[in-house]
Parts: sequence; C-alpha cells; structure tokens
Amino acid sequence: MDAPPFLRMSGVHKRYGGVTALAGADFAANAGTVHAVLGPNGSGKSTLLKVLTGVVAPDAGDVLLDGRPLRPKSPRDTLAAGVSAVYQELSLIEDFTVVDNLVLGVEPGRFGLRDARAARARALPWLERFAPAFGGRVPVDERVADLDPGERQVVEICKALVRDPRVLVLDEATASLRRRQVEVLFDVVGELRDQGVLVLFITHRLAEITALCDRATIMRGGTDVATVTVGEVPERELVELMSGTPAGAPGAAPAAERAAPEEGAAAPAVLLAVTDLAGPGLNGVSFTIRAGEVLGLGGLQGQGQSELLASLFGAARRTGGRVLLDGAPVHPRSPKQAVRAGLAYVPGNRGGQGLALGRPILENLALPSLGRRALLGVGLSRATEQAAARGVAARIGTTYGSLDDPVSTLSGGNQQKVVVGKWFPTEPVVVLMDDPAKGIDVGAKAEMFAVVRELAESGAAVIVGSSDDRELVEVCDRVLVLFEGRVVDEVQGDRLTEDTLIASAMHITQADVAAARTDDAASHLPDIDHDPVAAEQEQGT
Amino acid sequence: MSAPVTGGPTPVAERPDRGTRARALLRDPVLVSGALAVLLWATAALISPSFASWGQVVTLLTLASFLGVIAIGQTLVIIAGGEGIDLSVGATATLAAIVASRYMDGANDNLPLSVLLALAAAAVVGVINACGVLFFRVPPLVMTLGMIAVVYGFIRLYTGGQPAGSAAPLLRTLINGDTVFGIPGVLWLWLALSVLVIWILRRTSFGWRLYAVGGNATTAYLSGVNPVAVKFSAYVLSSLFAGIGGLLLLGYSENVFLRLADPYMLPSVAATVIGGTALIGGVGGYLGTIIGAILLTVLDSFLRIVQIGGGEWGDAPRQIIYGAVLVVVLSAYGRQKRLRQ
Repeated sequence: MDAPPFLRMSGVHKRYGGVTALAGADFAANAGTVHAVLGPNGSGKSTLLKVLTGVVAPDAGDVLLDGRPLRPKSPRDTLAAGVSAVYQELSLIEDFTVVDNLVLGVEPGRFGLRDARAARARALPWLERFAPAFGGRVPVDERVADLDPGERQVVEICKALVRDPRVLVLDEATASLRRRQVEVLFDVVGELRDQGVLVLFITHRLAEITALCDRATIMRGGTDVATVTVGEVPERELVELMSGTPAGAPGAAPAAERAAPEEGAAAPAVLLAVTDLAGPGLNGVSFTIRAGEVLGLGGLQGQGQSELLASLFGAARRTGGRVLLDGAPVHPRSPKQAVRAGLAYVPGNRGGQGLALGRPILENLALPSLGRRALLGVGLSRATEQAAARGVAARIGTTYGSLDDPVSTLSGGNQQKVVVGKWFPTEPVVVLMDDPAKGIDVGAKAEMFAVVRELAESGAAVIVGSSDDRELVEVCDRVLVLFEGRVVDEVQGDRLTEDTLIASAMHITQADVAAARTDDAASHLPDIDHDPVAAEQEQGT
Repeated sequence: MSAPVTGGPTPVAERPDRGTRARALLRDPVLVSGALAVLLWATAALISPSFASWGQVVTLLTLASFLGVIAIGQTLVIIAGGEGIDLSVGATATLAAIVASRYMDGANDNLPLSVLLALAAAAVVGVINACGVLFFRVPPLVMTLGMIAVVYGFIRLYTGGQPAGSAAPLLRTLINGDTVFGIPGVLWLWLALSVLVIWILRRTSFGWRLYAVGGNATTAYLSGVNPVAVKFSAYVLSSLFAGIGGLLLLGYSENVFLRLADPYMLPSVAATVIGGTALIGGVGGYLGTIIGAILLTVLDSFLRIVQIGGGEWGDAPRQIIYGAVLVVVLSAYGRQKRLRQ
C-alpha cells in the first residue's frame, strides 16, 4: 500500500474512428502477483494491454513501470523495458524451427553473425521446462509448421519467456491449450510470481481466475470498474461486475416488449430447421427459426458462431446434419447455390468479404442480383441497374455522391449498409449476419439494425452472430448461446438480458470445471481439451 | 424497377472544384497515354514530315491493331485479378496462325474450317492455362510462361520445324483490302472487336462479375458469384482473342514463321497496363488498352524514324531502348498501384 505500484497506467484514452475503446482507464498492479483483467467483449481490456505492450499508441494517458515513464514507439521499446506478451493470434514464422522462432529478434551473436550454440543455450531451458506440454519431448529443431495448434501456442509462450520479462502479458493464451499444457503453464506462472514477475492474465474462463490469480481488475465500457482480491469476492459478484447491467436496465427492455405480442398472435410456421449440423468447429447444432424472427448467436468469441453461419451459406464444409428450409432440405455446396435457395450472407469484415472497395457503389449493390435483371442472363441496361441501386439506397438510407463513386468513399456505416442492402433485390428468405456491426459507430449501428428489423418484418428470418451482448439484447427476439460448437443455452423473453448472456457464456465453463473435478480429482483445472482440428479451423478463419 | 426513384436520397452536393478535376484528368491513364502518343507522333512528324501523311497514320494503326487484338485477352485476364497475367498470348497467336495456314494452304476452300481449327487449338491452350492456374494453383506468371515453351514445342512437332501452307486469298483481302480512304479491312475488324469487348466489360453480367472478382474475389464468392468460372472464362477468352490476333497476322503477312507473334508477349502486357488496367486486378478497361497499343506502336516507329540502330549494329539498339521503355513504364505504373492500395 505504501510503496508505489510496480506498474501504473492512468487516464488512458483510445479511439478507433468513431469507436471509443478506452475512456480514461486506470490500472495498477504489483510485482510478484498474477493479476487478471476481466470484462465482456469490447470492454477495452485487450486495448489496455496493447497500450502497455506498445502495439497500440494511446490518444492520452501515462504508463509508469517501476517508477519510470514508458512511452513506447513500438513493441521493441517495451521489450527492452521488460514487457513481454503472448497473444491469441500467433506471431510465429511457420517455416522456422522452434529455436529460431524463440530467439527471433534477440539472437545472440557477434559481429552480425548468429551464435547457434548460444541461441540453443538460451532457448533450451524453457523448452525443457515445458516438455510435458509437448508430450514429453523437447522440439528444439522441429519446424513450427509441424506442431499442432496447442503446441504452437506453447512455443509462443516460451518465446515471451526467453526474453526474461519483468511483466508477462497472457492475452487469452490458454484458449487453444490442452489441460496438460495449461497445468505446466500455471506451474511456470507460479514460479515467475515467486521470482517477482508481474503476470497480467486475460481470460474468459472464470475457473482459471480463481485457480491462478491474486487480484482482478474488471473493465467495462473502456474504463476500469473495480479491482478486487480474488478469493474475497464470490464468483457471482465478478460476473455481475463484468456485465454491469442490473435487471431492468434500459438495454433489456426492448426484447421483452417485442416478445410480448407474439404470444397472443398465432406463431408463424418454422422457416428454417437445423438438426445436428456438424463441420469444422461445429459439433451438432440444432435449432429452428420462424419467419419474421431475429435470432442471435451469442457466447464467448470463437465458439462456432461464424462457422455455423458460413456452413449454412455453403461457404464452409458440412460433415453432418440436416437443414430444412420451408420443409425442403437444402445443402448448398457454394454460396452461389445458397443464394439461389434464398439465403443471404452479411460478413462483418466488409473490406475483406463484403465489398469490392475499389469498384463503384452501383456495381457493389448490383452484384448478387445481376442475373435477375440481365437480358437473357447476359445483357445489362445501365438505366435498369441504376434504378435498382437507387431503390436499394433509398430503402437502407444511404447517402452518396454518385453511384459511380468507389464504395470506399462511403463512411464505414454506409459501407456496411451497402453490404446488407445488396441482398434486397434477391429477396432472401433467410439472412445470415456475422457480426454485422463490427467497427461502425453507434448511430450507424442503430440504423443498420433498423434495416435488420425491417428485413425481419418483411417476412425473412434473420440470424445474427455478434460478439457484443448488448447488441444481441437490443436486436434479437431470441439468442442461442454457443460453446465449443454446440448450442448450450437458449435465452428469450424476460431472461434476455446482458447479465444472463454473460453468465450463460461463463457458467458453461464452470459446469465443465465441475465435470473435470469429478473426472480427475487431482486436477483443479477446467477441462479444455480442444479438438486440435477445430482449433486450427478457428485460427484459419 | 425502371421508374426513377423520386423519394430517394439527395446526392450529397460535393462536386469537385476545377482544381481537383484537372488533377483527376492528369491522373487518368487513358488521357495521359493518349496525350503521350500524340506528342510522340507530332515529334516524329517534325523530324520526318512523311510521318504525318494519311497513309503513314493508317499504317501505324494497322500495325497497332495486331497488338491491340492480342492485348484484348490480356486485359481480361489482368482485370480478373489474382496476379492474373497471360504471357502465352504470343505463342498462342503463332500456334493459331500456323494451324490455319496449314489447312488453308493458300486456297479459300477450307477457310471456315481452318479458322475454327485454329481457334480450337488456341482455346485448348487457354483451358490448360486456366486448369493450371485455378486447379493446380500454379502462379499465372509461371503457368503461362511455361505454356510458351510447351506451345513452341508442340509447334515444332506439328510442323517439323518448317511451317506449311499460306493464308487463304480471302483472308488476305479481308485484312489488307482497301475499303474507304485506304483503310484496310483489319482496322474495321479491330473496331468491331473493340466495340464487342467494351460492351462485354461494361454491359454484361460477365463483365461486372469479372470486375468484382478482380476487385475482391472473396466478396464476389460470398455474393453468389463463382470466381473460378469467371477466371476460367477469362483465360480461355484470352487465348481465343490471341488466336484471332494470330489469324489477322497470318492474313497480313501471308506466310507464317515459327516466331510470328513472339514480339507481342511483353507489349501486350505493357499496352494493357499503360492503358490504366492495374496489375492488382479489378481496375481498367479496353479503351485504355487501345490507346496503349497505339502509343507503343508510335514509340516503335519513332525509334525507327530517328534512326537509332541500323548500320553495323542492326536492330539491337532500338530493341534495347524499346525494352527499357517498357520496363520503366511498367515499374512506374506498378508504383502507382501500390500508392492506390
């Protein structure tokens, strides 16, 4: 209490375009502790740690490390100051050997020549320490490409450790690890703590926090809400602190209102019925959706939401299960077939998947429905195309200079509306949306979801995957919570609140802990044995 | 759907002022290339007044037409993106000319059949290119470069090293025959093909899909377009147009030789790129390629006029300068492409 903390970050602000990621966050942590940073998706926890590691330059705010100000221009500067980070996205070079990856950037050597022996000497102790995580072997000279995803993550951790950090950041580093690997990691983290290293730990798994962490800072909406000592607060309270919306908060209201009249009216028939859908990242998903319904896909990130949408649209392989659309089986093997069957797909990555940025607005809006207007399927009339595009633009409320301007000249929100609007002329019956509001500001988001509701009211079934629980509560009639490629909960009506969604996503992990405890009494760790193939698929997408 | 939408959003009133519009014109590759071509032509005319004569202009355009037709397919393949390029157009054109001349054998009887056979042979090259690039994931540069060797090897086998036959008289008349004002038939053919290609690119669903695939193949795929089919068509069309170019060359030169269309390989890429079709794909059009083909032909003639080369060195210095200009132009446009990204 008396001594100043080892690490202090104060008043950190960061905006990405119209989105505020950090709004004056404060953070302090002591050496020799394991400190968890918790919060829902989009609460700013990752951005905060990226500011610390120099990956992201803050708009305002100070970082003091060991009493000295840290103003990194690049991750290299923070490395020199002793901050080392492990991210979910790997930074390994696949064609290099493990040892070459470990010493990359800190190669020992003289006169510009590499000293292979010194490099081995530096890398070997850590690899030997982690040998149980590699199934007992020490893969010094193996190529990273030959390792499975879990092993690569361990190499990534070793890479951070080889740099002898004073601060070690683990950002969801356990997500793709097997239980055995997590155990070794936790042992090592314990040793580091005893040596006075500060370990910052981001995770969605509540059980890992109680098992490993001393302190926890809860982030919400870009600021720190509270810092608590783990063990003194019940888990339920942690979940409440994270969600921050007590029952009856404004965000919860609309869903309940919408749900009410439906009970009185005769429910429309089931439009889409999915049974035991399986594929990469999917382990038997079943659900139904009615015409006019907006169905959400929630849960932790990367639990099969994107894979489910891609699989329904024919953009990902399907290995099992049935999909009935209006009673008839559909099995699109390509998006082309899916579009013909009446499906539409709105990706969240509009630059990469939703738009041809350099092409005119006109062509982007026309693309999915070209065949419908073409004479003999070939000839196009400019007047017809323009009229169709103007009609769509009016419906989605896009402002533009000229339809011939490249679509990249539009604002992010208007671009995303084009990604949705281009499907209108195909008259889709099922609209699949994968995080459609990613990276657009609040106003544009509201307008875009108004378009979504309009689609639903015109009789389409809309499925929305989102990493933002608030968004799901505001837009959806019903939300499926996914975990490891399965539907584990269905939330609707009065239960549809941010609180429930966060708890639902978290409690699954706790249920797994309970299962793991009965399975293996010696272990205090959650069962997170990932299917390596599925994990690889996740990383590929 | 064709009724004008009156309640639509009012277009944002943001007209570019005169300055930015002038700058946009300066950046328009078609205009810049066109201006350069005129400038070069004017300079050449000053040095050698006969250059400005009507007959010389027609000759220039006639020479440009072969490059222009061979570059049609190049334009399509480059627009389709994915590092698309077809270096085998020269070899394919030669193949078509050799097949056609053998079947024509200087008579009109077999003209339709020989044209069909020549185009079929060209299409086979296109199909192989497309399969290599799309199904076996060979980079287009490597695939089409390799195809050059394969095609020439085949030509050697087919002809035994000595091409047989000659162009049908009708074909020669079609290409070289005077129409009006001394304009040979080949220029009207080029005009017709140009109108066709520009219509395909601007007013058909295939054209729009081609631009979409070149602009962003993932987006096109997720919008229900089959990018493989679109690119496949682009490669086959490229070889077909190269084949047509070979037939035009055959009619023009009457006899064939083993390296007939060889000199068109790199210029076809250069004409396309100079005309504003970006190597990243999804940008450009055939109008620019026409200008590019004319510019390159004027440049070549200009170098002849100022009599670089000749004498004891023969053609070599002219070739070196022409090649150097191609490299400079290509790298200049390559840089512009990176800025735009």
